[in-house]
Amino acid sequence: MLAFILRRLGILTVILFGSSFILYNLAALSGDPLADLKLSSDPNRDFLIASLTRELQLDVPPPARYFLWIKGIFGIFLGHPNFGKARDGSLVSHSLALAIPVTIRLVLTATILAIIMGIAIGIITALRQYSRFDYAMTFVSFLMFSLPVFWVAVLLKAYLAISFNNFLKNPIVPIGWIIGLGLATAVFWASLIGGTRRTFWIAFGASGIFAAALVATFSATGWFLNPSLGPLVIFALSIGIAYGVTQLSVGLTNRAALKSSLTMSALTLLSYYPANWVFSHHPGTFPILAMAILAIVFAVVSGLAFSKIDRLPIIRTTVLTALLSAGLLLVDKFMRTWQPYMQTDAINYRPVPTVGQRSDLLGNDNWWLSSLDIITHLVLPTLALTLISFAGYIRFSRGTLLDVLNQDYIRTARAKGLSERTVIMRHAFRNTMIPLTTIIVVDFAGIIGGALITENVFGWSGMGTLFRNALFGFDLNLLMGVFFVTASLSVLANLIADLLYSVLDPRIRVGSGG
Amino acid sequence: MKLTKGAKFAFAVVASAGLAVALLSPAQGATRSTVIIHETNPVAGLNCSLSTTNNTTCTDMGTLQGMGFNYYNDKMEIIKNTVFGSYKVVKNSATDFRVQYTVNPGRVWSDGTPITGVDLLLSHVTQSSDYSKAAGLGDPASKTAKPAFNGLGYSGTYDKNIVGVTLSADQMSVTLQYKSPVANWDIYGPGPSPVHALVLLSEGKKALGTAAENLAAKDRFLKAFTSKDTAALKKMGDSWSNDYTITTIDKSTNPLLLVSNGGFIIDSAVAKTTMTLKLNPKYNSGPAMSGSVDTVVFKVIGDGTAATQALANGEIDIYAGQATADAVAALNKISSINVVGAISGAYEHWDLHYDTVDGESAYTGLFKKSDGAKSAALRQAFLLGVPRDEIMTKLIAPINGEKTPLCTTWVKPGNAMYDKICAANGSAAFTRGTQDTRNATAAALVKKYFPDAMKNPIKVRVLVPGNNPRRAAEFALAKANEAKIGFDLVGDVRTDWGSQLGTSAYDAYFFAWVNSSVQQRQSCGLYETNGGNNYVMGYTNTAFDNVCNTLYKPLSDSILSAKYIQAERITNADWITVPVFAHPGVYAINKALKGVKPAPLSPQITWNYWEWSY
Repeated sequence: MLAFILRRLGILTVILFGSSFILYNLAALSGDPLADLKLSSDPNRDFLIASLTRELQLDVPPPARYFLWIKGIFGIFLGHPNFGKARDGSLVSHSLALAIPVTIRLVLTATILAIIMGIAIGIITALRQYSRFDYAMTFVSFLMFSLPVFWVAVLLKAYLAISFNNFLKNPIVPIGWIIGLGLATAVFWASLIGGTRRTFWIAFGASGIFAAALVATFSATGWFLNPSLGPLVIFALSIGIAYGVTQLSVGLTNRAALKSSLTMSALTLLSYYPANWVFSHHPGTFPILAMAILAIVFAVVSGLAFSKIDRLPIIRTTVLTALLSAGLLLVDKFMRTWQPYMQTDAINYRPVPTVGQRSDLLGNDNWWLSSLDIITHLVLPTLALTLISFAGYIRFSRGTLLDVLNQDYIRTARAKGLSERTVIMRHAFRNTMIPLTTIIVVDFAGIIGGALITENVFGWSGMGTLFRNALFGFDLNLLMGVFFVTASLSVLANLIADLLYSVLDPRIRVGSGG
Repeated sequence: MKLTKGAKFAFAVVASAGLAVALLSPAQGATRSTVIIHETNPVAGLNCSLSTTNNTTCTDMGTLQGMGFNYYNDKMEIIKNTVFGSYKVVKNSATDFRVQYTVNPGRVWSDGTPITGVDLLLSHVTQSSDYSKAAGLGDPASKTAKPAFNGLGYSGTYDKNIVGVTLSADQMSVTLQYKSPVANWDIYGPGPSPVHALVLLSEGKKALGTAAENLAAKDRFLKAFTSKDTAALKKMGDSWSNDYTITTIDKSTNPLLLVSNGGFIIDSAVAKTTMTLKLNPKYNSGPAMSGSVDTVVFKVIGDGTAATQALANGEIDIYAGQATADAVAALNKISSINVVGAISGAYEHWDLHYDTVDGESAYTGLFKKSDGAKSAALRQAFLLGVPRDEIMTKLIAPINGEKTPLCTTWVKPGNAMYDKICAANGSAAFTRGTQDTRNATAAALVKKYFPDAMKNPIKVRVLVPGNNPRRAAEFALAKANEAKIGFDLVGDVRTDWGSQLGTSAYDAYFFAWVNSSVQQRQSCGLYETNGGNNYVMGYTNTAFDNVCNTLYKPLSDSILSAKYIQAERITNADWITVPVFAHPGVYAINKALKGVKPAPLSPQITWNYWEWSY
């Protein structure tokens, strides 16, 4: 195992340096950093050219300059790597340190959402193969797959930011929209639930009328200007979560797990006022984390109290329910921050922004306002990234699951009388995860590489923007810095994927045959 | 209250009318007092005089936080800032030319320290190579070592002509002494710098000094300056070159770095994203502020479409747009803004190869000078065949409405001399008649030397700058029209075209020269023998050199326009170049914001920030 890892690391190092040498020279040959200066008719042109040549060592030919650069990188082994200076005089390592967290913030949520939604929808379409829902999702996923992100971004900004902000000036939903939204929801749920003609129409009618009524109420009460959930809705949703999580995790037949989860729903209702007191009097990340830990402790205790045997799955179920229900409290608090947020001078009733990482005029004094500000700035880019990337996961997980469902051991599992839930969640889904792991790990490594176009259209300055600026500004050191970080991570991710393979699938062994 | 609303939501019942009315009261915002300006590039530091930080964003920001003796207005005229001080020529002979700059009493920096003549001396340190060498601060021209003040100021006209500076006894005036009268002497004047802050910075201080400490620091600078104290000046140079390269600014930033005398001072900055400036309460170095704008934010948005949508969403107030017809059409659809067409300092022109450029292989192409009358006729035909009107109407007018091609390279449209020069500089040949009659003239010229040119078109090798849709369109228009007179344009599209200018592989070039200031010798460097930018056509003409040699000394406008006419007649008679258009710019400005007047020269947007108001 160790020998395998060391051997792989050795090969990866060679790949890294080989590719960086090629890229460095290609990039150096691709353009002249002095080009725009040469066209200046200013009197001090020659001086500027000389001074830039001196700063960037342009008098050294690129292959030789590469070794000057790599000498700094080798400092990694001595603990002080030197990525050099960018054209604007800033340290490349400093720019990277600023850009990486921004990129992670932008891409992480979108990637996780895309993975969860993609796999979930992929599984449902596989189970409902050739149903209306399957065809609809196949259509949607191919549509999303083929859309360029900059175009999606422009549409999202036009409708969800500019038009929505205009709508908020007088948030009355027209009757046509209420009917339309109701119909769309009805079609979605009816095809998702499927079944006989009768269940289809019941689902269609119920979800359609409910959605339309909900939107109408929102419109009539001005909910869009001052949204909130309130303790009763939180309680109702929390009970739904308890049932849902229990069903997926251990099955509703496990009464101990259900009771334990429902206790968590009750606890959520009871903690509504105490939690809000903490939110108002001790805003910040730490109290929220502390409350989350408290919720986990309660969940573990409750799980232990309700269960006699097979405790671990029950505790797991309860903890999940507790965390999701507690999340509702947080969502409710953010909803109630919405109105004060809109009323600030900085936002001025246009809360959904189209560009940037945060509002420039909003101070840092109020933790809830600035956190909500970060969220509103994240909404559109996250949506755009999720929309275009989850299609791949849908197709991949659907195909893999169908593959697995046709295996003999699934037939065996069904034949020996296991419940459908156990067959799908334990026997089929587990095996689906093995090939999915590979693309998930590589996608996570890609996160650091940034979403070049997305960052650009949403005005974020992460790794993608850094790379773009380096490329267009002929900024070799910066370009190589970005390249080095992303390339290292992607070769490491491949290694990790190989190792995870052997963990998930005991039949695969690394290091054998070496 | 919370409970009732929750219940209502949960059961989706009819809303209480009173509550609805209360919540639906119209959304009213406060009066706006912030201007958010879109920029394409982030700032790399606060000292814009470094080679690494010098960009348009830095200049825009620098304009807001610093006031000097003069500034360019939107008509490219120099306006004296009499609130800050005054300047005049005190001695004017062939070998001794002196200008005295006096700061008005009572002007203060943002920390309250009075501005005096001592604050004008730093600009000599950062602009004079002689002083740098004499004080042991390093030779700025050295290829290996950096000077202590590692800036961009050296090597210009100031550096070449300055003899020395003297401070008056009352320390309020500084007199610059030049070797001989220099043209445009007024733009080389000293700018004020907060030297007390620089001294305290170089001594490692982290907080603003008291009034007495600041005055003492100012005296220490004066002492170091006059005695050329290498050690002290080197420490200051180190601070000047390195300490200002910060991009994140918050409450922990050393306040000494932010001392300035403009209408706004830097409040905060998020690296590579935004920079926020707030009103300077002690500002008295320039025209009085209108008062309704108290915050200016520079927001970096690289993507043009994103900036357009941000404008529509009210996230930015001033947008320096992409100069494409599509972008302008998108802007025109937004109802909350005014779209203003403009020109920039760059102008597009067509150049023909004339003779071998130094250091290149011999030019033996179509337009070579040694062919005498034949090549002159071909050059004339080619330049007449450049469809300038068509380029204007198809490529430029949709952006800024400008339909008339340029007729001189020496001054920009809008300049008082422009029409006078155009009337007499020989450019009438390019404007007389219509393109069809000019084509006929050109075809006749070609036919004289190549009778069957229409059947076997003459190949002309053209360098086409790559990665530029407008230039691709421009080339296509030119190719179509030149075909009518017997030329076959063979374009070589290159992205590295900048380094290909002047190689003997091409007969014709088209690109833009960029002017960042108005100079008396404006186009001399392009055409005079050994001119700094005369590396494209290989053009030399003694008559032209003679005219340019008379342009070093300051001249009145009437003499100057006569000289320009004289010079341009020579180049036009040699048929080497023709200007086409000033590069278009487009600005979009929030309708509610008054007083923004985009100017062709840097800082294009911010030059009159004190007039901005809501």
